[in-house]
Amino acid sequence: MNFDYTDEQKLLKDSVQRFVADHYALENRIKLASNAPGFSADHWKTFAELGWLTLTFDEAEGGFGGDQVDTMIVMEEFGKGLVVEPFLASIVLGGGAVRRGASKALREAVLPGVMDGSIQLALGYAEEQARFDLDDVVTSAREDGDHYVLNGTKSMVLNAETADFIVVSARTSGGQVDTDGITLFLLDSTSDGVERTNFPTVDGLRASEVKLTNVRVPKEGVLGEVDKGYDILNAVAIDGILAIAAEAIGAMEILYKDTVEYTQQREQFDHPLSEFQVLQHRMVEMFMEYEQCKSLLYRATMETAQGSPGAERTVHALKHLIGKAGAFIGENAVQLHGGMGMTEELRIGHYFKRLLVIDLQFGNSDHHLQKFAA
Amino acid sequence: MDIELSAEDLGFRDEVVSFFAENAHKDGEDYNQWRMDWFAKAKDKGGWDVPKWPTQFGGPGWSPTQHYIWEQETAIHATPWDMPFGLGMLAPIVMNYGNEAQQKRFLPDIRARKVNWCQGYSEPGAGSDLASLRTKAVLSEDGTYYTVTGTKIWTTMAHIADWIFCLTRTDDSGRKQEGITFLLFPMNQDGIEVTPIITLGGAHSVNTVHITDVKVPVENRIGEEGKGWTYAKGLLQHERTGLAGVSRSLVALESLKDQARTIARGNSTLMDEPAFKAKVADLEVDLMALEFTELRSLASASAGAAPGPESSIMKLKGTEIQQRIQKLTVEAGGLYSAAWGATSVGPSFARAGMGGYLASRGYTIYGGASEVQKDVIAKNVLGLKKSTSVQTSKENGRNSS
Ligand SMILES: Cc1cc2nc3c(=O)[nH]c(=O)nc-3n(C[C@H](O)[C@H](O)[C@H](O)COP(=O)(O)OP(=O)(O)OC[C@H]3O[C@@H](n4cnc5c(N)ncnc54)[C@H](O)[C@@H]3O)c2cc1C
Ligand SMILES: Cc1cc2nc3c(=O)[nH]c(=O)nc-3n(C[C@H](O)[C@H](O)[C@H](O)COP(=O)(O)OP(=O)(O)OC[C@H]3O[C@@H](n4cnc5c(N)ncnc54)[C@H](O)[C@@H]3O)c2cc1C
Repeated sequence: MNFDYTDEQKLLKDSVQRFVADHYALENRIKLASNAPGFSADHWKTFAELGWLTLTFDEAEGGFGGDQVDTMIVMEEFGKGLVVEPFLASIVLGGGAVRRGASKALREAVLPGVMDGSIQLALGYAEEQARFDLDDVVTSAREDGDHYVLNGTKSMVLNAETADFIVVSARTSGGQVDTDGITLFLLDSTSDGVERTNFPTVDGLRASEVKLTNVRVPKEGVLGEVDKGYDILNAVAIDGILAIAAEAIGAMEILYKDTVEYTQQREQFDHPLSEFQVLQHRMVEMFMEYEQCKSLLYRATMETAQGSPGAERTVHALKHLIGKAGAFIGENAVQLHGGMGMTEELRIGHYFKRLLVIDLQFGNSDHHLQKFAA
Repeated sequence: MDIELSAEDLGFRDEVVSFFAENAHKDGEDYNQWRMDWFAKAKDKGGWDVPKWPTQFGGPGWSPTQHYIWEQETAIHATPWDMPFGLGMLAPIVMNYGNEAQQKRFLPDIRARKVNWCQGYSEPGAGSDLASLRTKAVLSEDGTYYTVTGTKIWTTMAHIADWIFCLTRTDDSGRKQEGITFLLFPMNQDGIEVTPIITLGGAHSVNTVHITDVKVPVENRIGEEGKGWTYAKGLLQHERTGLAGVSRSLVALESLKDQARTIARGNSTLMDEPAFKAKVADLEVDLMALEFTELRSLASASAGAAPGPESSIMKLKGTEIQQRIQKLTVEAGGLYSAAWGATSVGPSFARAGMGGYLASRGYTIYGGASEVQKDVIAKNVLGLKKSTSVQTSKENGRNSS
């Protein structure tokens, strides 16, 4: 049992931390988030130069060869700055599917660009009727000679707006909610029949509805085996959950610490707010929830990285707690800041909103509690 | 004890419902004209435009049951928008503490919805601890006007208000609660600068109001100089009773259920999912109880008794319930609750869910933060004293009463 980072991991953490400290003051973040494309191309270049975009890819293919623990380190620091660059979408999600499922030829065609930042990826897994179920897929893929023809709509696709390629799940056989019969495709986002409707999300990120009308994808674009895409998709979703849970931990830390700080500065009734016992206890609870989440994050991340049996159940536990504790911490950060907490001017509201969206991504708190109890 | 509505009450309900039906806004009808006509017709009904005003000021003199029926029906039917500041907060003060000239001058325009008011209480340094307010008002040597300078913050609707009712400090030599003076003045004049504050849901409803050397004639002072705190405390009571929102929550809960029923889950809907259903049921139980807590409090108030202990929990429980409804709406919207901006995606209710939820976080802050509200109940209802060095309840809190 060892909870220490390696020296290499410590360096990684330091470098991400430094980047966030230097570039992610709230006003900068707001500026990036409110202008197209919703992030900084310069930052993205920096990520590439620092090697962060190679993090999850195999060493043999030019990657850093990191595992979920390394991603966790990066995402936790990103969470402290509410970083808007599409690391999650391009590296963890899209990249995770390509690295797991693409043929050697396809990996060679795409991954170098992903790692040097010239190619961006996205993952379209959600559909409106599916709510949070990955295996509920009605987008269809019909075989046609050496192509598949895709029809349907992938919903709330993070970073589809600037993605060069989008990984989508589509049904090649089976019923609407069968895990068998789902196939993953890597499609060129500029293909005929791909229509993206882009919009902001409340947390300052961007997503798209991606409508597919007779989109032709060559058979080489299939990730993994035909009909057998679910396992890859599920593995990618687990990585995604671990990544956003780490991001949530970073955001929670800011929220509870800012609240502790603010209540010591703000005086009412001739006393700092922090002297009221009811507020002290509330902040202690915020802190305890944060620590509990962190414990489950470590547990789920290490179990997943080491392939422990039961890891998936721990991931469900984690996502449940992150949703519940995230709302608790965010709501109370606002409450204890009073009117100031309600403003866009203080950063806590922005962290709160990110936590709310994290709960909705890859299944909310209830969804995962059900899966955990099943 | 009897919970059946009497034949008279049922008749009243029919009358209310048909009034709403006859005067519903029609497609294409000018909204403002309709709004003015609506209030004029409500007035002709015998004070239906000012249900909570006492009869001597033109109110209808309804029984608690009639008020309850009215609340229920207004929550269901589309009635014209209204602002609470003049009608529900200032008017009772003017009635109780204003002189006859002030009553004649201000009440008719409030009643006719001609003048919009805003509440200038909070300041950057005076929120929960309202009595520490510092906006200065200095009486002129000839005793005819005050010169007011200071900053008010979180002033809801200041950007559209015509007038402000304002707590100012005329004397800082004594206890904080002394030396506070209640002044009224127009917003549209030199020396008043309103800057917007954008809140979490992206909305602009609150503002900072900078006041610099604004001259306010003494005729615009309510009651005596230095006694404003006493008047304001009475007003806070009125502010709070309006915030429980039970009828609105009952309607909101039903629409939440309807919305959840539109989210298909296999052969059933989200409303059939055990976890979601249990949360809705839990909420409904609390709301059922609160509905009767409100009735008990209305009944004791109409019997002329001082508001009983049950009234003190209305704001706390009511706002908490409203927040829970908003939160479940976000849950029901699923991923689509995250969508923002003009594009509409997913179920139609989802777009409003997140904004509503974020705004609802303010419900436990304004009108007295929940923690402070609980202090008041601890002191006034449970009779508890604070023995620590931290004293909040020596009548200086926003909600001391
Ligand atoms: C089953 C059991 C076994 C025990 N065994 C032992 C034993 O073997 N040896 C031994 O020495 N003692 C023992 N104890 C005693 C135990 O340590 C005391 O009960 C405990 O320290 C609390 O003291 P008290 O009961 O006097 O409660 P009090 O000190 O009177 O406190 C009552 C309650 O007030 C609240 N409270 C107290 N102080 C504060 C504060 N500062 N702020 C906010 N809230 C506060 C807490 O909710 C607390 O429960 C035992 C108790 C129990 C119930
Ligand atoms: C949406 C909105 C609209 C508003 N509209 C108006 C308006 O129209 N006019 C107006 O005058 N004001 C208005 N307000 C201001 C509102 O009344 C104040 O925000 C409120 O009184 C709290 O003051 P504060 O924001 O300074 O918080 P603070 O007093 O700094 O308190 C911050 C938090 O600390 C805690 N706290 C404070 N005191 C205690 C205590 N004694 N014990 C335990 N905990 C405590 C509470 O959790 C509180 O939320 C509005 C506020 C909001 C958010």
